[in-house]
Amino acid sequence: MKSAFNRSILALATILIVGAAGQAGAQDKPLKKYESGNKDFWTHPPDDWFLGDETQAQKGLAPPAGPPTGASDAELAALIKKIKLPAGFKIEVYASGVLAARQMAWGDKGTLFVGSFGLGNVYAISDNGGKKEVKTILKGLNMPTGLAFRDGALYVIAVNRLIKYDDAEANLDKLGGGKVVYDDMPSYAAHGWKYLAADKDGWFYIPFGPPFNIGIPPTSVSQIRRVDPKTGNAELVALGVRNSVGGDVDPRTGKYWFTENARDWMSDDTPSDKLNMISKLGEHFGYPYCHQGDMPDPKFAMDHKCSEFTPPVLNLGAHVAPLGMKFYTGDQFPPEYKNSILIAEHGSWNRHKYQGARIVRVTADPDGKNAKETEFASGWIEGDQGYLGRPDDIILDKDGSILVADDWAGAIYRISYSK
Amino acid sequence: MRIVLLTLSFAAVLTNAATAPAADVAAGKAKAELCSGCHGEDGISQTDNIPSLAGQPDQFIQWQLVFFRSGARKSEQMQPIVEQINNDDIRNLGAYFASLAPPKATKPDDDPDLSQKGAQAAVGRRCASCHTDTFAGTKAVARLAGQREEYLLKAMHDYKAGVRSGGGMAAMADVAYPLSEEEITALAHYLAHL
Repeated sequence: MKSAFNRSILALATILIVGAAGQAGAQDKPLKKYESGNKDFWTHPPDDWFLGDETQAQKGLAPPAGPPTGASDAELAALIKKIKLPAGFKIEVYASGVLAARQMAWGDKGTLFVGSFGLGNVYAISDNGGKKEVKTILKGLNMPTGLAFRDGALYVIAVNRLIKYDDAEANLDKLGGGKVVYDDMPSYAAHGWKYLAADKDGWFYIPFGPPFNIGIPPTSVSQIRRVDPKTGNAELVALGVRNSVGGDVDPRTGKYWFTENARDWMSDDTPSDKLNMISKLGEHFGYPYCHQGDMPDPKFAMDHKCSEFTPPVLNLGAHVAPLGMKFYTGDQFPPEYKNSILIAEHGSWNRHKYQGARIVRVTADPDGKNAKETEFASGWIEGDQGYLGRPDDIILDKDGSILVADDWAGAIYRISYSK
Repeated sequence: MRIVLLTLSFAAVLTNAATAPAADVAAGKAKAELCSGCHGEDGISQTDNIPSLAGQPDQFIQWQLVFFRSGARKSEQMQPIVEQINNDDIRNLGAYFASLAPPKATKPDDDPDLSQKGAQAAVGRRCASCHTDTFAGTKAVARLAGQREEYLLKAMHDYKAGVRSGGGMAAMADVAYPLSEEEITALAHYLAHL
């Protein structure tokens, strides 16, 4: 099935370098062209895929690398004292040493599975008499950021392979190689790391990011697919999506809501990252033509109007990097939290003063109207460009508290509420 | 603000606030006995295809050790070594090698024309965007200035062949793939003589 998809690629993607352009329209260099119609492109995307639009004003801004061994227990103890929460809420360290922790998923028997970024690990965290034991159960995978657990099986998505490990909780020490159940995906790492969200039918929503900051996307990316892990069947549910690494199914309506990271290298304050909802199959969310619902791209609008595209439910702010999100369906938090959305913001890299790196709460009607955002948890940023931690995913625990993954500190936090 | 400051401020914040033990250079030096057989005394390699580690950024050393440990970077020589070290060792080794004086470039440059070509290639391939203008590296990004020439060749060939991915953002694999053999030769010569 993979080759069929590749053969269908005829798009010629162009990308441009906004040469020395500062904020105030300097001269642009000529358009740079990428041939996305050949097979080579699929194994080797543009080498300047995330710096290609770098401007002199923004030179030196690059994704920061966190402490390779995460935060020590002493560092974490000091860190959580700095986290600000609404009255009645408490944060504690649930597990440490979960290096590069990304998406989390619960096993039926209470194992917490955690994916990771470049380290290639998948972890299983189990409770051993109150102490959390972190075990590395899979190694050497290609950016296994996304995880899900269904019918006893652990699913891991590692860029271009959706792998199923049957009866995972009984075999934590010997998961084996698993079985690839879907692989119709480009193999490149550029915006190739993914997230998994299951709907009631057991199909997964899977995002596909474009292999660059901005350009005409090759045909099989900048979209969200819905994939049946049982059969490998897939359908295209959304187009015009840049880099989405988080989403959840609305318990009220069954509709899929997702976070989306907007393009870089325009300025510190634009365009805004987004929270979106798919209300009908095949909606187009604007990328690369229109950002944040109302801002035509300076080069790639190409006579498109923003009114052609589905606007966001809410603009979350520039370079806040919204990733994992969950509808709050528990009973522990105050009643007004029910069905509101908690979003883990990973924080900036392409901004001179970092923002994000917090958890926000969004309330919205089931149709997406009346969306409002309030800050829920903050304090992971120190100074202009310093991180203590970077939240990237959220999952509910059985008792209604939430767990938060942090890939910078290599830790999982628990946030709970009591009157 | 330059991102160089980030590492410093982050380290400072954590160590001050948390009263956690700061990385211990002396302990790192002791542990580095594991390394000196191949990587040389004081982190200056005398061996073909083995990189010098002296003056590498703290985080770069740490990340590579973590990558070796997780299997994300594969090496038969390094595998048994990283099995003997824990997180504290990794922090201490990072601090130790970063504290050492970086290798001095071989002088004089026996092929200035080749270095000139390398300098042009470095501009064309945007190397300084990550490795900084002096090629001293920063944070998780390697120092290239003064590295052994044949090791630089090996590293670029490994990236180009997809044998080495380069970690999180995978940038190096993508950067190295389109490099021509001439560019690789020139870049290695130029960087080794900085």
